[in-house]
Amino acid sequence: MARVTLEHVSYTYEPGTPFAVKALDDVCLTVREGSITGIIGHTGSGKSTMVQLFNGLEKPSEGRILLDGKDIWENPKKMRDIRFRVGLVMQYPEYQLFEETVRADIAFGPRNMGLSEEEISARVAEAAEIVGLTAADLDKSPFDLSGGQKRRAAIAGVMAMRPEVLVLDEPAAGLDPRGRDIILQAVADYGHKTGATVIIVSHSMEDMAVYCDDIVVMAHAKVFLAGSRDEVFAHAEELRSVGLDVPQITHLALLLAARGVRLPKGIYTVEAALRAIENLL
Amino acid sequence: MSSIALGQYYPVSSPVHRLDARMKVILAILYIVCTFLCKNVLSFAALAFSALVLILLARIPLRVILRAIRPILFIMCFTAVLNLFFVKGENLLFAWWKLQIYVEGLYSAAFMLLRIVVLIMGTSLFLTYTTTPIALTDALESLLAPLRLIRVPVHEFAMMMTIALRFIPLLSEETGKIMNAQKARGVDFAHGGLIKRAKALIPILIPLFVSAFRRAEELATAMECRCYRGGSGRTKMTVPHLHFRDFAALLLVIGFGAGILYLNRLGIGYTMP
Repeated sequence: MARVTLEHVSYTYEPGTPFAVKALDDVCLTVREGSITGIIGHTGSGKSTMVQLFNGLEKPSEGRILLDGKDIWENPKKMRDIRFRVGLVMQYPEYQLFEETVRADIAFGPRNMGLSEEEISARVAEAAEIVGLTAADLDKSPFDLSGGQKRRAAIAGVMAMRPEVLVLDEPAAGLDPRGRDIILQAVADYGHKTGATVIIVSHSMEDMAVYCDDIVVMAHAKVFLAGSRDEVFAHAEELRSVGLDVPQITHLALLLAARGVRLPKGIYTVEAALRAIENLL
Repeated sequence: MSSIALGQYYPVSSPVHRLDARMKVILAILYIVCTFLCKNVLSFAALAFSALVLILLARIPLRVILRAIRPILFIMCFTAVLNLFFVKGENLLFAWWKLQIYVEGLYSAAFMLLRIVVLIMGTSLFLTYTTTPIALTDALESLLAPLRLIRVPVHEFAMMMTIALRFIPLLSEETGKIMNAQKARGVDFAHGGLIKRAKALIPILIPLFVSAFRRAEELATAMECRCYRGGSGRTKMTVPHLHFRDFAALLLVIGFGAGILYLNRLGIGYTMP
């Protein structure tokens, strides 16, 4: 079932001035309930703009955004409720930390929702566990954490609101491979544990191939390709035409398949490739 | 990217845009002097006409210029009202209770209004709208260069100004991002009493300060890595040159000032003291 739907959405920055830029152009998109959907595109493909439309931070110039079939702009005064339902983690979220302790910072969102203290501490503990922060970390100042830990604390701050839809803009940007895996795994865990729909924006095909069920490829302010992971990665040629590519290991598997090695379709990780090759031998 | 990101600068190609930035600073000062030279109807008419010509020459839409005037609307109204009621003269126009309006007051109010509008328009047309902030600080640095003789660190001031100008759009963009991030966590800026709203600013201000200090430190490191050590012996990447058009513009503005002085002497209608 469709959780979030974009209907003919366009967004123009600075309309009517010499700086006018069309960031989104007639975008139609459906995100399945409970899926982990990746939105991929190059810089300037409009993906960061799209992120801010999901929870009503920006209003589309044209078109509608539906959450469970209802237009989120139907009642702008209730936008705060929409924002509690659609949690948004912006790019480099560690720069939004401000409280004295990590615990207080994660509790900031739930507190704004007006929850009881017990409920708040339960949610903080739950979110901290998902992202892998220890109780000792929770009592530190957020400014004393390492870069990766700060990022995880900030993401926990949104998870603690227990949004039905969790949207993340480049959650793994600028982290080392281990940090990337920890964060993306935490995000996937959140989706699986709570049944929430997760939308991840990224430019990394490798990451998306591992963690996402569905993939939307953006190019030149439009949806270029959309579908399940296997469907999208079957279009390797088209992806290359917009400067994106299938993951390297998938590319290798395709090349081997072209030379007559009988590998199964849909190989996205080195481990999967290893297993497939071992099966052949 | 928001329009703030580019400052007030309006990127079109026009004769005013092409003038040398140093000359534009001088022209702006001369033009301000001209607005204060105006004394009577004729000279103010000439001033208004010159402002229109300037707008057309700079190719800035009227809408954009009105945006510059909006912040000072209150001061304009205040000045006009003061002049209207408190300038005494010989020809009483209207009297009611203790309020008396003289013809002289009416003229004076209109002149003051026009003077303020042209003042703001003139400076923004010569400087902010048609000159990039970087060109402007460069121009100030070279115009203030003589102060180096009395050990004023002109280059350092100019560099500080350049950096400050460069950081304004960055910080305003950063503010927008942080506000959005906190809004996503349910901060409510629009509702509640004064204290509640002030408290809602804390989640914005703390991250903003942290990021400003971080950026400053990064910039200092980057400058040191490139061996920046202040102004002595530093050369410029683009060396500006004065062209014929710059001197022509200077002559034009000086001629305009002389014209104003001549029109003032004709003594038609009300003359400002």
